[in-house]
Amino acid sequence: MADESTETTEENGALADALAAEHAAVWGYGVVGAALPSGQRAPVAAAENAHRDVRDQLAALLTERGEDPAGPEGGYALPFPVLSAVDAAALAVTLEDGAASAWVRVLARGVDRPVRELAMAALGAGEVRAVSWRTAAGQTSTTRALPGLSAP
Amino acid sequence: MPPTALSGPRTFTRRTLLAVSAVGLVAVAGCTSSDDGQEAITSEQADELAGQVAVQETLVAAYELAFQADPALAAAAAELVTQAGEQLDRLRAAAPGDRPAGAAPADAPPVVGAQEWLRAQVAAAATSHAAACLDQTGARAALLGSIAAGLRGHEALLA
Repeated sequence: MADESTETTEENGALADALAAEHAAVWGYGVVGAALPSGQRAPVAAAENAHRDVRDQLAALLTERGEDPAGPEGGYALPFPVLSAVDAAALAVTLEDGAASAWVRVLARGVDRPVRELAMAALGAGEVRAVSWRTAAGQTSTTRALPGLSAP
Repeated sequence: MPPTALSGPRTFTRRTLLAVSAVGLVAVAGCTSSDDGQEAITSEQADELAGQVAVQETLVAAYELAFQADPALAAAAAELVTQAGEQLDRLRAAAPGDRPAGAAPADAPPVVGAQEWLRAQVAAAATSHAAACLDQTGARAALLGSIAAGLRGHEALLA
C-alpha cells in the first residue's frame, strides 16, 4: 500500500491535472461564446463562471499545500474549427468531457474527503452542462453512463 | 482568435483535456487484496459497495416500471435504462462477494407523472452513489463518482 506522502503526491498531481483542464475550459468557453449569438450566451457565461470558480478553488488548495499551481497556457489549439453554433456546442462538450476525465482521476487518486467532495460536485455539475451541450450539438446520445471514465 | 495565430499551442484533445483520461482506473475495481499490488478494500467498503449495487438494481427496476406506465417515455428515454444497466454491470464487477438483492421501488409510478416519479428515483440513486463515493477509495471511488454524475445527467434530461 502506498505511504501517506506518496498518496498526497498523487492527489496533488491529479489536482494539478484538474487545474489544467479547468484553465482550458475557462479559455475554451470564450471561444464557445464568441461563436454564439449574444442571445444564446447565458449558459456559456454560467459555465465559464462555474469553471472559473472551481479553477480558483484548485489553485488556492494547491497553494495551501505548498505547491506552485500552474497558470493557463499561453495558447491552446482547438480540436476542430469552431465556425457555427453547432461547432461551439461540440467544443463545449469536449471541454466538459475533458474536465470530467480530470475529476474522475481526482476521485481515483484523492485522499482527503474535502478534495473528493469537490471532485464529486464538479463532476456532477459538468455532466449536467454536458447533456445540454450534447443536445445543442445535435448528438444522438446526450447522456453518458460513465462520464469521465474510459471503457473497460 | 484563430488557432493558427496561437504560438506554442497545446491541443485540447490530446494534452490538456483528455490526457487526464481515466485509463486503467476500472481495471483494478473489485480487488480485495493488495498482495498483487492492486487496491485493498475494507469490509466496510465492500459492504457499502454491495449496497450500491442494490441501489442500482432498484433504479433499473424503477426505469422498467416507469416505462411500463408511460410507453411514450419508454420510447423517448430508452437509452437511459440501457446506461443504467451498464452502470449496474460495472458495479457488480467491482463489488466482491455476496450481495443483497436490490429491492423493488417503494412505490409504483403514477399513471400520470411517471417521468417525474422516475426523475425522483434517479436523483435518489445519484445522491446515494455520490455519498458512497466519498467513503471509497481508488477505482471504486472513481466508478461511483462517475455513475453518480451520469445519473445527474439522466436527471437533467428527465426534467
